[in-house]
Amino acid sequence: MSGADSAEHDQLRQVVRAFLTEKSASADVRRLIEAGERRDDQVWSQLAGQLGLTGIAVPEQYGGAGCGPVELAIVLEEMGAALLVAPYFATVALAAQALAASGDEDAMARWLPGIADGSLTAALAIAEDSGSWDLAEVAATAEPAAGGWAVTGAKLFVIDGHTADLLLVAAQAPDGPGLFAIDGKAAGVDRARLDALDLTRALASVALGAAPAVRVSIDRDPAAWLGQVRDLAMAALAAEQLGGAARCLDLAVGYAQVRQQFGRPIGSFQAIKHKCANLLLDVESGRSAVQHATEALAGGQPDASVAAAVAYAHCSRAFTRAAKECIQIHGGIGYTWEHDAHLYLRRAKSSELLFGPPARQRTRLAELIGI
Amino acid sequence: MTLERETTATAADEPDEVFRARLRDFFAAHHPGRPPKDPRERLPWTKAWLATLFDAGYAGPGWPREFGGMDLSFARQVIYHEEAARARVPGPLGTGLNIAAPTIIKYGTDEQKQRWLAPMLRGDVVWAQGYSEPEAGSDLPSLRTTAHADGDEYVVNGQKVWTSHAADADLFFALVRTGTRESRQRGITYLVIDAHAPGVQVRPLRDLTGGHLFAEVFFDDVRVPAANRIGAENDGWRLARTSLGHERAAGALNQAAMYRRVLTELEELARERGLLADPLIRDQFVDLEIRVRIIRYNAERTIGAILARGDAGAASSVSRLLITAFEQDIHEFAVDLLGPAGLLAKSAPQAVQRSRWLTGFLRTRASTIGAGTREIQLNTVAEQVLGLPHDPGLPPR
Repeated sequence: MSGADSAEHDQLRQVVRAFLTEKSASADVRRLIEAGERRDDQVWSQLAGQLGLTGIAVPEQYGGAGCGPVELAIVLEEMGAALLVAPYFATVALAAQALAASGDEDAMARWLPGIADGSLTAALAIAEDSGSWDLAEVAATAEPAAGGWAVTGAKLFVIDGHTADLLLVAAQAPDGPGLFAIDGKAAGVDRARLDALDLTRALASVALGAAPAVRVSIDRDPAAWLGQVRDLAMAALAAEQLGGAARCLDLAVGYAQVRQQFGRPIGSFQAIKHKCANLLLDVESGRSAVQHATEALAGGQPDASVAAAVAYAHCSRAFTRAAKECIQIHGGIGYTWEHDAHLYLRRAKSSELLFGPPARQRTRLAELIGI
Repeated sequence: MTLERETTATAADEPDEVFRARLRDFFAAHHPGRPPKDPRERLPWTKAWLATLFDAGYAGPGWPREFGGMDLSFARQVIYHEEAARARVPGPLGTGLNIAAPTIIKYGTDEQKQRWLAPMLRGDVVWAQGYSEPEAGSDLPSLRTTAHADGDEYVVNGQKVWTSHAADADLFFALVRTGTRESRQRGITYLVIDAHAPGVQVRPLRDLTGGHLFAEVFFDDVRVPAANRIGAENDGWRLARTSLGHERAAGALNQAAMYRRVLTELEELARERGLLADPLIRDQFVDLEIRVRIIRYNAERTIGAILARGDAGAASSVSRLLITAFEQDIHEFAVDLLGPAGLLAKSAPQAVQRSRWLTGFLRTRASTIGAGTREIQLNTVAEQVLGLPHDPGLPPR
């Protein structure tokens, strides 16, 4: 049992937290939302360059730090707390991990160094109209073409797909489902940001009309590859949700300590205390679940898939509940546009539905545990 | 009783796995088998097991050696509890070991330690708690049982309630009022009272399951030697809240493992009865599955944090709240699953699994009441972990 964070992990957490406190304060988040931008270029280059965060889960031979799910989770937890507006989850947690899991050394050598040094952003496009991450539901097709492949189809719910430099697209090739790398600016790529709930993380539609592509070879059954990518993504997202839930609890507790009604702080009322204490149960449980899942993934433990699904299912509920209670405890002020509470609710509900309806996630978990 | 051991149970330089194997062998060789059917035989049966453990040097994993304990490191205590759970050996008798012993070890005089600790650990003397009173439940500092000094004795009058194991008890560790009635925490003294002394009356209390786990204990001019007072007069409240390092966290994984087993058994029952095809039932199983795993992850994290930095952290403060809700929910879900068959009690020939789920459904009503109600515990978490303000309408903590 490894259990505890090491001193290095504590240090990583402190560094990221200090950086985000300075660079992703509420005013920064709001400025980017209003401008419709997906990142602050200077902040991105600092987090990539000085802090090396874009390379944290990239293998060392491709210019990364060679860390794994545990360290990525620490970074994402802090980013989730700060609602950082940047294509980090899409590029690092989804695309980089999908490439690294493919086993295609040419593809890794071609794109991972760019991701690691922050010069390349990427998006992973699996889902289509149904939102499903099941390869059997992928309708996009890939045909051999001069110098490579041509991909045709319509991808939906692609995180940061409208700005990504590189698109990694699942499509049906003549020999079965595969992964295809497409330059975001290539001819035949038509993409747009979707008008959707989450203001701090964009979803995009990506229409492909015989877009020129390079095939990323997958060294095993593509469904097994996607299963691993999804496990990694769920654990990473759970960590981000944990950070968001913990911040919602902090905001609620901070307000309940100072807001006076009936001549006393509202946090001295049992009804408010119990709400907050119950959120703490959710947050601490989430912390345990994320720690277990990321360590199980890092160590290749047999229960890693279940652990990732458990962490994601729990943290999904926990974050949404925390965001709703944060609004409730703030009362009227929590219902205003100016208060950040709704930004967390938007992120929470969006993250909860990212891989499909919660009911389907639970059905999948039932299958994983054999009931 | 002997303090001499057949073996030296711990060699500090012994590798963990050797220690584990030695424990496993011992538990296997000396396991007392299934508990006797006749309830009257259970007390001597349990006492015999505790004496076996003690005499061989396998009792009190977290206790100092001078009182017959093993003085194990925290990591070794975890191993000890894992092996004890694996072997399914009987647990301790009464509540003294977990609750009174840490106070005695930390605040008792040398004479008190010599007099009480080893016999408690060996199971020769059974201890029961005398804290709650009919008018002092969640508001324990309002307790009214009085103790008046009279020479080198105290004279105790009052009533305690919800005392488990009272019928078997030889000694009560009690909180009594030595200050004024309004003195609250500042007027409470920690006293050890002979259960067999004149003026002590134990009346079994029938609980909602129909059983007699608890009793009321009445004190009518009971004379208690002042030498049985632990700590100073009026300093009992502080002393009562003593724990011995992280001793209790060492067993946290076992409770998680037990509920893992219970859930698996319920899944098997549902499968046998063809209930798992129902998506609504499956969904409820998924919910319990997530929760039982998180209970384990919390225990792992707590233990890991203690090993790494000597601090249990916030995960430990929420564990009990998660576990008590879980044990209530799983039993009710099981009863629901069975439908009308879930209503059959133990002696009905058609009862499912000797009515264990129905019994659990009733029994676990106590889970969110005893040792602090859920509501009080949530208040404690809110104030002590989150730093929310105390209710100004209530007396200070």
